[in-house]
Amino acid sequence: MESERIVAGLHCGEVLADLSEHLDGRLSFDRAERIDEHLAGCAECGRLFGEVTAAVRALRQLPDELLPPEVEERLAEALPG
Amino acid sequence: MTADDAKVSDETLIGRTAAGDPSAFDRLVRRHQAAVYRFARAAAPDGPPGDTGDAVEILRETFLAARRAASRHRDETSARPWLLALARQAIDRRHPRFREADLTPLRELARAAGWQSGGGGAVDESGLSVETAFAALPPEDREILTLCDREYFTVDEAARVTGLSDAAVRTRLHRARLRLLARLKERPHGE
Ligand SMILES: [Zn+2]
Repeated sequence: MESERIVAGLHCGEVLADLSEHLDGRLSFDRAERIDEHLAGCAECGRLFGEVTAAVRALRQLPDELLPPEVEERLAEALPG
Repeated sequence: MTADDAKVSDETLIGRTAAGDPSAFDRLVRRHQAAVYRFARAAAPDGPPGDTGDAVEILRETFLAARRAASRHRDETSARPWLLALARQAIDRRHPRFREADLTPLRELARAAGWQSGGGGAVDESGLSVETAFAALPPEDREILTLCDREYFTVDEAARVTGLSDAAVRTRLHRARLRLLARLKERPHGE
């Protein structure tokens, strides 16, 4: 089992907390650069970031569930014209 | 949405709805009903399989509230966040809930997703499909993922729909993504 450490001046716990913000590009340039450095040098955090990114991509690529025709009909009946 | 329909902005449809034009309201409904349905399915607790009565009721309440409030929302450039905020209110009325703080330590969620715990299995064909993994999440997680990763709402827009602070939206989104990943790594039963 790995243990948490400091890479690129950042503790794994700090990096963990910022992963989604990093994925969404909401961190400052300096912060993002340091996180990238940590991810490149820390196998555990690097892998987690890659897998969260892949999971989010897969979720985003799911086709939209269509409105069942029966729901559309019942809604049209329920809304006064 | 047809090409013709796309030429009319949400803003125009809301304005005409406010002025009492029933065809504008009808177009607003048709343009957004599937998204409101998907949001209701994600954010409301699961009902009996195949039962769509709850979703129909949430849709109906959402669009009736939208028609009543249209005159106060003429400047909405996109109707979607406004409509989903109304849907959120309709869900709250039907399924009252108090907001529990999510006290699970972040490290625990991350370990369940394989961080610092030997990987916990890869995400591959032997794991759950993303659709199944998403459906198995609690409604709060499905809600925030729907808003941020399906509708591509900004943090502000997601905060408006959920009534959460911007900081709480970001925290919830991160936690929901970690739980989704942990689900994706679960082996189907019996393997
Ligand atoms: Zn690390």
